[in-house]
Amino acid sequence: MIRNLCLLFLVFVSSQSVAHNVLGGVYTIGVDVEGEIGFSNGEMAPLGSKVMVRDLQGQEIVLVETDEEGFFTFEATKRIDHHIYANLGAGHVFETVLNAEDLSDTLGEIMAVESADALETNLRGQMLVGNDLQALIEKAVAKQIKPLRKELNAYKEKASFRDALGGIGYIFGLCGIGIWLTQRNQSTKNKAS
Amino acid sequence: MHIVDGALAAPVLAAGVVLSVVGVAIGLKKLDYDHLPQVGVLSAAFFVASYIHLPLGFSSVHLILNGLIGLALGWAAFPALLVALLLQAVFFGFGGFVVLGVNTFNIALPAVLMYYVCHRGISAPNTNLAAIWGAIGGAGAILLTTLLVAGSLALSGEAFVLAAQATVLAHIPIMILEGFVTGAAVLLIRQVKPELLRISEDWDDT
Repeated sequence: MIRNLCLLFLVFVSSQSVAHNVLGGVYTIGVDVEGEIGFSNGEMAPLGSKVMVRDLQGQEIVLVETDEEGFFTFEATKRIDHHIYANLGAGHVFETVLNAEDLSDTLGEIMAVESADALETNLRGQMLVGNDLQALIEKAVAKQIKPLRKELNAYKEKASFRDALGGIGYIFGLCGIGIWLTQRNQSTKNKAS
Repeated sequence: MHIVDGALAAPVLAAGVVLSVVGVAIGLKKLDYDHLPQVGVLSAAFFVASYIHLPLGFSSVHLILNGLIGLALGWAAFPALLVALLLQAVFFGFGGFVVLGVNTFNIALPAVLMYYVCHRGISAPNTNLAAIWGAIGGAGAILLTTLLVAGSLALSGEAFVLAAQATVLAHIPIMILEGFVTGAAVLLIRQVKPELLRISEDWDDT
């Protein structure tokens, strides 16, 4: 009996996210795309949730899975808009578009970027030219601004007290309009009679 | 409770819009001047209830209050909830615009049904009995809503049993909480402002 109750409790806790919003963000570091998916109560997407990456025509580019912390990564091969979609079940869907502009300039229609190791050797060696240097700079900058973007994303998703007050204001305003209209109708009726 | 954009199939979305329009039309027709402020206040209560998360275990829940709104407003719950859901989508990002019809229907229909099931019970002379009927209204509305949500997902391709299990089980704590809150609210309203519940009973006849 107690075990059953415990099980039931676990089920509550694990599926509690049903009452919450799905949040997430996608960040680029050069050609690597990193994303995370979670719920507004702080829980992350379950391990192994499928994340579909498609181009805007709906053609699948890659299918990845989230790790235990709701993270997923993949490498972009083309500088195009990526449509990212994950269905976490029970009406929870995460959907976003990663714009082509956010991806590294060094990505052409065909990928032509060396691996990070190769870049590092280059750096230690002698010369960095053109694309290599640009890719490195992009990578470094992306790394630096990633926490900022994350924080900004979280901030955008958070409904503030002001939003709540604003909504209440709208409702009372609508009510006022309703009352005014009915009042006007009644007084014209009264005048007519 | 709020289904988000992109989770449902187009026919389900369209059906939701049609059914909600019908519900809102009936609600507006039955709504009279005297009850407008009540509709506004309860609509605002629903709007804010989803914003306030109460901690529960490792997670958090929020009240939905559609049972209480149904008991007090009857069919007028449809327009009240439509407005509140629209504003929740705008301000909080809950749900979405395309699924607004489905969400309104899923939340408002149980409210109306609970009104018909419980409105005699909550005006019973026995206070305890009335509170119990209020609790039934509060918990029942959540149960029906979760079943409707599961149904909407099932019609869009998810397995009904799985979807229903997930949504119903996850909402059991909320059902209990809503039962208590609605029961207590019925008790309080009966004492301080009985016309809020009693007048709404007469709406049927008008």
